[in-house]
Amino acid sequence: MDELDKTRPHFYFALLRLLALLRGGDATRAENNGAEAWLGGVAINLISYLFFAQFIPDDLKIWQGALLLVLLAFFVWLFWLAVLYINSLIINVVRLCGLFHSIPIRRMQSVLLGISTTAMAAGLLQTDSWSREIASIWLVMVAMNLSAAAVLFSVHGTRGREE
Amino acid sequence: MERSSASRLGRFAVRGVFWRQYLDWAGINLPFYFYPVNIFFFSFFFFFFAAPARRAIVANLAVVLPGSSRAMNYLRAFRTLCNFAWTISEGAIYKLLREEFAYEIIGAKWLEQLGAAPNAIVLTAHMGNYDLGAALFAQKFNREIRMVRAPEPDRQTAEHLSASLEKTGEGAVKVDYNTAGAFLSFDLLNALRSGEIVSIQGDRVEGGVAEVSARLFGKEVRLPNGPFVLALVTGAPIYPLFIARSGYRSYQVIVREPIMVLRTGRAREDDIADAVAKWCEVLEEIIALCWDQWFAFNPTFPTDGRTR
Repeated sequence: MDELDKTRPHFYFALLRLLALLRGGDATRAENNGAEAWLGGVAINLISYLFFAQFIPDDLKIWQGALLLVLLAFFVWLFWLAVLYINSLIINVVRLCGLFHSIPIRRMQSVLLGISTTAMAAGLLQTDSWSREIASIWLVMVAMNLSAAAVLFSVHGTRGREE
Repeated sequence: MERSSASRLGRFAVRGVFWRQYLDWAGINLPFYFYPVNIFFFSFFFFFFAAPARRAIVANLAVVLPGSSRAMNYLRAFRTLCNFAWTISEGAIYKLLREEFAYEIIGAKWLEQLGAAPNAIVLTAHMGNYDLGAALFAQKFNREIRMVRAPEPDRQTAEHLSASLEKTGEGAVKVDYNTAGAFLSFDLLNALRSGEIVSIQGDRVEGGVAEVSARLFGKEVRLPNGPFVLALVTGAPIYPLFIARSGYRSYQVIVREPIMVLRTGRAREDDIADAVAKWCEVLEEIIALCWDQWFAFNPTFPTDGRTR
């Protein structure tokens, strides 16, 4: 543990790390930014919530719809727990084959979660509702983040601090 | 057959080992940004299923925050459970990944004193991340610390916790459970006499240990007698120390002025009572400040004229 240093924030996502670098800050990857943690977590859950919400029938009574929307929040939580568990099995198999040993498991989970959420966002793009706008924002952010990762890689020749 | 199926189901009880093992799994598998939402939902889950703990928090809050409404105290209980989930998750992350955590020391001169003390008793509460705090102390001062914990009702959970604490402290933290009666007292006495630091949770009595009567928030409570007797016998100072969570992966180490238990020639109980009163003052101040991190999941204050 380190004594508190609030002077320079550190980031995990490449886009924010690149912005920090452009502002003369530190681009090393860190997982200690609470705002980033909330933002990333809420964004993933929001996209998946909207994705599953489109399957709720329109012809329900208001109270039935509201109840289902509340229950859906718990379903989405359990869905992601199940996905993470299945991902962990896939990662174990991949590692047994001798691949990706140098990448931390939670980083691989992050990649798989990103792919799943992006697929859901792409699905949401087909809808006519306002959730399409949210999905678009997600896709733009993913594209910008990947571009920033590429820039950081070319500048530093590294993906940042690896645990 | 029945016993083995009960034991299998016991793993999933609120204090079963399953949840501790899940924390370890999550530490390895969950991206850091997955924690906030996950912890929120888990807190919600335990808010409903850990009913005795929820009721105990609400009952304790009614005393700690006089005049507070019951409905608000249920929301505060949820917040307390959220904080508990954060602290044990962050403890697991530190144990498994050695991730960076920030901390701020309040009462640095007393912490330095404690680090240099020939022997000492650290008196703490079920508050914040005391496990992480012990590891921090061991790391900062390069000293061994012996932690005394209340016994876990589930044997597998107890084994898992002991192993976790010792791993977090990288061998510098030894864990004892206060179930061994007189033998543990002698062990602790020897430890103090040989210059060790002993950490004890002094905010509630569990596991049939010796008790002393005290007043906390104007109510009579029972607190463990052991730390005060040990201090009296060995002359070791008692350092009140608390680790409070102050934000995402950041903590406050709060150390207060040491309490000396001196022989004044009066009855031993009177000497101890003075020290207990000083401890209660500190405890009241810290609990009032960090009520949402006081993880007292058993009723601490008397109800219907009874003390727990």
